[in-house]
Amino acid sequence: MATSAAAREAVFALRSEIARIEGVLPERLAAPEDGLVLRHGPAARRAATSMPAFVRTGVPGFDAALGEGLPRASLTEFHGTETRNAGAVAGFVLCLAGLLRNAGPAAGSGTVCWIGTEDIFREAGLPYLPGLRRPFGFAPDGLMVCAPNDPRDALWIAEEATRQQAFAAIILEMRGHPARLDLTATRRLHRRAQAASRPVFLIREAAGAAPTAAPVRLAVSPAPAALRSTLAGPLAGSIGHAAFAVTVTKSRTAHAGRFILEWSPDDIRFREIRPEDTGALVPASGHRQDHPPKTGTVMALRPPDPAHAASGQPSRKQHPAHRSA
Amino acid sequence: MPLLVSHRENNTQRIAALDEHAEARGLKRGIGIADARAMHPDVEIVEEAPQADRRLLESLADWCDRYTPLVALEGSDGLFLDITGCVHLFGNEERMLEDVLARLFQQGFDVRAGLGSNPGMAWAAARFLDRGIVTPGEETGAMAPLPLAALRIEPATRASLESVGLRTVGAIMTAPRAPLVRRFGATLVTRLDQALGRIEEAITPRLPVPPLSVERHLAEPILHTGDVLQLVGMLARTLRGELERRGEGAHALQLALFRVDGMMNRLAVGASRPLRDPLLIEHLFKERLTALEDRIDAGYGFELVRLSVLKASPFALTQTDLAGERNDDDADLALFSDRIRARLGEKALLRPVLAESHLPERAAALAPAFHRSAGAGPLLPAPAAGQAERPIRLFARPEPVEIVAAEVPEGPPLRFRWRRAVHRVIRSEGPERIAPEWWREPQETPTRDYFRIEDDGGRRYWLFRQGFYAAETMPRWFMHGIFA
Repeated sequence: MATSAAAREAVFALRSEIARIEGVLPERLAAPEDGLVLRHGPAARRAATSMPAFVRTGVPGFDAALGEGLPRASLTEFHGTETRNAGAVAGFVLCLAGLLRNAGPAAGSGTVCWIGTEDIFREAGLPYLPGLRRPFGFAPDGLMVCAPNDPRDALWIAEEATRQQAFAAIILEMRGHPARLDLTATRRLHRRAQAASRPVFLIREAAGAAPTAAPVRLAVSPAPAALRSTLAGPLAGSIGHAAFAVTVTKSRTAHAGRFILEWSPDDIRFREIRPEDTGALVPASGHRQDHPPKTGTVMALRPPDPAHAASGQPSRKQHPAHRSA
Repeated sequence: MPLLVSHRENNTQRIAALDEHAEARGLKRGIGIADARAMHPDVEIVEEAPQADRRLLESLADWCDRYTPLVALEGSDGLFLDITGCVHLFGNEERMLEDVLARLFQQGFDVRAGLGSNPGMAWAAARFLDRGIVTPGEETGAMAPLPLAALRIEPATRASLESVGLRTVGAIMTAPRAPLVRRFGATLVTRLDQALGRIEEAITPRLPVPPLSVERHLAEPILHTGDVLQLVGMLARTLRGELERRGEGAHALQLALFRVDGMMNRLAVGASRPLRDPLLIEHLFKERLTALEDRIDAGYGFELVRLSVLKASPFALTQTDLAGERNDDDADLALFSDRIRARLGEKALLRPVLAESHLPERAAALAPAFHRSAGAGPLLPAPAAGQAERPIRLFARPEPVEIVAAEVPEGPPLRFRWRRAVHRVIRSEGPERIAPEWWREPQETPTRDYFRIEDDGGRRYWLFRQGFYAAETMPRWFMHGIFA
C-alpha cells in the first residue's frame, strides 16, 4: 500500500512535533510499525535485533513449567543447598549463558560479567576460563570477574553492570542471604534487568528459599552424569556431559517440578534425562524406607504362598485366576 | 613548666631540644639530662621521636604544596620550596613570605624562613638572617659576614677550618681555593659556589610535578562532599579548555583537599582511556569520595581545592552519528571499570588472560581489566573436542585432600576426605599426567596425576596426586577444581 507524499509529510511533521515535546531528536523516537522513518542508524539496528522475551532451554517440560522458557529481561535466582554444589549451580547458570549466546545475535560482545564476593570465590573456586571455552562457548575475552569484599559493593557493581551494553548477562554470586540482598534489593535488580533487557542471574550458595522479587527461582543440585557415548555404545565407567537436578521452586505458572537436565555442548541445548535412561529400574521414592525390611522371622513362621511372587504381586500368568478366586 | 626533649648520645641522655622557658633558665642543647634535672627539678622531659618528627615534617611539606608543587625535605627540620613562577599569585616575595609565616604561626609552629635565588643562599638566610630576602646579585655581600655553619658543611670540616682561623664565609671567599680543596675536599668550595649562585643546584621535589593543575582558594571553607564534588566539576571544566588546547586527555587525576587546620588529603583516580569530560571526572571522584567517606575528615572545612592531571595522553576525537548515539561499547565499559576501580581499588575488576602453558594454574591468570600494563595475551584457539576437560572453577591454591581408601596405589581413590566431609567415589576418569615445566621449575618439582571424579552426590571434582609412590614417601593428594 503506497503512502501518498502528503500523508508522509504529515507523519514527518507529527513526528518532529512529538520529538520537540519529548525533547529528543526525531531519529531517536521509537520506530513506527511500518518502518517508515528508521531504516538506518543504531535505533533501527536495535529494533531489528530485538530478541524474543524467553530463552528456550530445549526441554519442553521444563519450558512449560517456567511458562514459555526462561525470561530474558529479568532477574532469575538459583539456589544451591551446599557450598560444595557450587560447581553444579554455576555450571547450570553458565549453560544458560551459553543458550543466550546461541539464541540470536547477542547484545554487545557477549561478555559475561561474573560478580561474586571474595569469600565465595575463595571457598568455591575462581572461574576458570579454559574450562568454560568448549562446553559453554566462551570467547577468550568473554568473561569479566569482579571480586569485591563486601556484598554491598557486589550489589552496587551488579546494578552498574546491568547498564553496560557490552555485557550479555550478569552473574551475581552470593553466599546465603545477606541482609543487604533482601526483597527490596532483588526488586531493584529485577527492575534494572527489565530496563536493560538483559538477564541477571543471582546465585545464592548454601541458601534456602527466601522471599524474592525474581519471577523464576530454581534450586539446582548436581546429578550423576550419563556415560560417554562412543560409536560402540556407552563407555562403561566414564563421566559424560554435566547433568543437573533442577527443581522449579518459583515460576509464573506455579508448576512445581523436578528435572534432570543434561547439557549437551555440541548442539548447545539441554536434554532431559528420564529415570529409565539412567539404567535404574525403580524410580527414586521419597516415602519408603531406604533399606529392605527384615525378613528372617516372617519367613520362618509362614512360608511364602507359592501363588505369590517374591515381590508380593501375583505373576502375570496367575493374575486372572487370583482375581476370579 | 619548662619542656625538654632528650635523646641518647654516647650512652647518656642529653637535651636534644628545649622550649623558651627552659632557655630562659639557662639550659642549652647538649647538657646532660641528669644535670638539668639536678638544676631544675621541675622540668618536664620527653623522649625524642624521630619518626613522629619526620611525619610532621612530611605533613607540613604536604601543606606547603599550596604554594608550589616543588617542595623538598631538607634534613630533619627543613623544607625547600621552589617558588619560581608562583610569586605573582601572592603579589610579591615579601607578601608571600609573610603569608607562609603567618599561616604557620597560626598553626603553632615557630618557623624561620629565608628567600634566596638558590637553595644554598635561602638555607643560610633562613638560619642566619632573620626573614632575609636576598635578591640575586647580593649573595656575596649577604654571605660574607655569616659564620661557617651557613655553608652546610660537616661539623668536623667546620671545626678544622675554625682551628686555622677561618671563621666567616668571607674569609673562605678570599682564601686561595687550591689549598682549601687539597686540605678540606671539594665539598667546601662546591657549597660556597652553590650559595653564591655560581653553580646550579636543584632541589629534589617529593612528588612529581603534574603537567596541569587548577585550584580554587575559598573564602569560606566547605564541609560537605556535595560541595567538594561541585567544585571538582567546576575545576574540571576549567581543565577541559587547557586539555583541549593541548589535544590531550587525562589518564590520572589527583584531587588535593587542604583543610583549614593544615591537614591535607590527596585522592587519585585513574582512567583507562583519556578523559576530558568534566561530568565523567566528577563521577570518578564521586565514587572515590564515596569509598573514602569515613576516612576523610573535613574537620573545620577545606579552604583550598586543587585538581591536577598527573598523567596526560593524546585524546582521539570520534564523531558521533546524527542521532547522537555513540556506537562505542568499549568506552562505556572503560568508564564502568574506571568507576569500579576508583571505588574498590585496582584488583576489583579482573579479566582472565590465557597463556600457553599446560599447567592449569598458569594457563589462565586473572589480571586487572583495562589496566595499562595488561596485554591481550595470546589468542589461543578453543580446545578441541577430544582434549581432556578442564573444571569450570579452580581453587586459588590446591586444597589438601586426605585419601581414606584407594583400590590400587597408583589409581584413583575410593573414598577421600575434603573439608572434613568424606566423599565416596562412584566413577573416575584418568589419570591425566601433567609434568612440571622443567624450564621454569626446580628439578625436584613433583609430577601430578589428575583424576576426574564423580562422588555419590553427583558432584564432579578434579583431584590430583602429587608425586609417585616410593619406598618411604607417600604422595599427597589435592583438590584443584570443580566441574559443572
